[in-house]
Amino acid sequence: MDKKEKILEIKDLCMDFQSGRKEKVRALNHVTLDIYKGENFGLVGESGCGKTTLGRTVIRLYNPTSGEILFNGKSISGKLTKSDRDYITSNLAMIFQDPISSLNPRMTVEEIISEGLKIRGMKDPAQCREVVNNLLNRVGLLPEHATRYPHEFSGGQRQRIGIARALAVKPSFIIADEPVSALDVSIQAQVINLLMDIKKEMDLTILFIAHNLAVVKYFSDRIGVMYFGTLVELADADELYDHPLHPYTKSLLSAIPLPDPLREKDKQRLYYDPAVHDYSTHQPRLQEVRPGHFVYASDPEVEQYRKELEQGK
Amino acid sequence: MVLYENNKEKYDSIPKEKFVQVQKDQEIHDVDFKTKPIGFFMDVWLRFVKNKASVIAAVIIFILSIFAIAGPSMSDYRYDEQHPELVNMPPKIPAIAKMNLGIFDGAYLLENRQYDNLSDPEKYPEGCVLEILNPRLVNGQRIVDVYVDYYKYMGLEDEDCYWLGSDYLGRDIWTRLWRGTRVSLLIAVISVCCNVFIGVIYGSISGYYGGKVDMVMMRITEIISAFPRIVVVTLFIMVAGTGMFSIIMSLVIKDWVDTARMVRAQFYRFKGREYVLAARTLGVPDMLLIFRHILPNSIGPIITSSMIAIPSAIFSESFLAYIGLGLQAPEPSLGVMLSRGQKVLLYFPSQLVFPAIVISLLMISFNLFGNGLRDAFDPTLRGAE
Repeated sequence: MDKKEKILEIKDLCMDFQSGRKEKVRALNHVTLDIYKGENFGLVGESGCGKTTLGRTVIRLYNPTSGEILFNGKSISGKLTKSDRDYITSNLAMIFQDPISSLNPRMTVEEIISEGLKIRGMKDPAQCREVVNNLLNRVGLLPEHATRYPHEFSGGQRQRIGIARALAVKPSFIIADEPVSALDVSIQAQVINLLMDIKKEMDLTILFIAHNLAVVKYFSDRIGVMYFGTLVELADADELYDHPLHPYTKSLLSAIPLPDPLREKDKQRLYYDPAVHDYSTHQPRLQEVRPGHFVYASDPEVEQYRKELEQGK
Repeated sequence: MVLYENNKEKYDSIPKEKFVQVQKDQEIHDVDFKTKPIGFFMDVWLRFVKNKASVIAAVIIFILSIFAIAGPSMSDYRYDEQHPELVNMPPKIPAIAKMNLGIFDGAYLLENRQYDNLSDPEKYPEGCVLEILNPRLVNGQRIVDVYVDYYKYMGLEDEDCYWLGSDYLGRDIWTRLWRGTRVSLLIAVISVCCNVFIGVIYGSISGYYGGKVDMVMMRITEIISAFPRIVVVTLFIMVAGTGMFSIIMSLVIKDWVDTARMVRAQFYRFKGREYVLAARTLGVPDMLLIFRHILPNSIGPIITSSMIAIPSAIFSESFLAYIGLGLQAPEPSLGVMLSRGQKVLLYFPSQLVFPAIVISLLMISFNLFGNGLRDAFDPTLRGAE
């Protein structure tokens, strides 16, 4: 994989939400990360840590407070002209978490999938229908399903309709916002495998947001860990699982349930307490501890992490 | 792993070929549905017909509407045709009168009549006496109260009957009742349509854009709704005159605010839904988002609330007529007839009863129909007010 070509660069991205008259909630706190073309980037963290906000800010459902987002070197943050918006909507697509509420109950499957096409000027109904049928086949549904309404489908089927909708505009980058967390475990694998296949076929880059670490590890090439709006650790998937450095990452990994009841019983859960960091003298920032492995830490902590890695070897 | 290590021998004794790998490169392909596709409105219809009360209500509304359209031309009299010699006639329908049920027989009580005169065909034409009451002696005279068929008493043929009687100017109540129903329904339906039209546009813009736009637009509606309704309506009618148009406008001028608020609330409910976000990520323009994604989903509450607004508009119109701000005579409306009938309630109750029955039926039916629609559109709201 050509790691050099960046498809998405996020620089110092901040996102504040107004809560009340004066108070603000900082959902994203100076997030910086690059996503390379063709990779699966996993983003994990607990509920409310800003994963979804990051995804939605990238596709510009939200207007970022500060910072910059570059897509293929073109800035897509700040004020958008109509052509900028067209550029974003035709290159980025999103798959949503909830298969029930992400499909409009008043539209048929065909209308849902073909909407993006129609906006892009595909007026010919026969042509639209053909594209829709191909997409439906691709996601394992039948062309006969096109005239149905979403409520007639199961959760997994609906999620696949959502995937078909995202693929209809032929994007190069897909933000998958917890696409499997609302699904049954048996369906999760089905949808994940489908995503993997389609990714290979269409040469996509995927930002995969999830809180299920097992799924993320299976799916992702690189993984970013977020904690309260801050990206605390970023590394290759195997590296992160084998050598977690940040205490929050360690705590997350210790929470993965083991499929062996005897070991699960003896498992030691680690709890993360932000008070372990002493940031009074040295300010923390995202630093590269070893090539490709970034940790949000202050200088003394980085020294300590490096030592830890040495010993680990 | 531990499980395996502890029972190593047991597991290893199982022959290898007994293990089969499941779901490997399994292509997912779903089967076609056996059922017919059910669209949104079909679904609503199926739920609606289950509710017997609202189906009956819908039938009543339908029948009343038919009468409102065809009723006035069924009688030979016109709504503004006056017969000074036939004022305040009792109701008589010849077919029902023949059945001797005691209703619609044109009966009218004449008090203190001389018994001896009853047999005089000059004074009491053949067959006009229905019932004799209270025979008594006063000053040696035999005095009775007598129920007469007033039409025969006046020497009229059966074809000339007023089916529901006549009013203080001798105008046919049947014709006026249905023409009044027609007028009332028209006023209510048109004013509700205007309300919905203005309210949906205003509420959509306010709810969709939110923020400062919403803030300003909602303050305007609050100012409008802060004026006492009756004052605004009265002033409006005094300025604009009492025509059908000005009555409709006076009902619209304040009532659209409620629709606007309701629509705005629906927009706030739906605009954050994931399918709306999904449409935005596809680059769907604002107008399409409003009219294709959000509005169709809030159509249920809009239809329901406008159905429930119709009886209250009928009631408002009647109220206006009742306090003397109704339509210009001789145009009838239910309110005008009620207010007339109330004045003669003790002597000619039928003049009040018929319009009262019609307006009650309309109000109950529209309310039941509206409730049924609401339940059909959104089953989760069943029983909630």
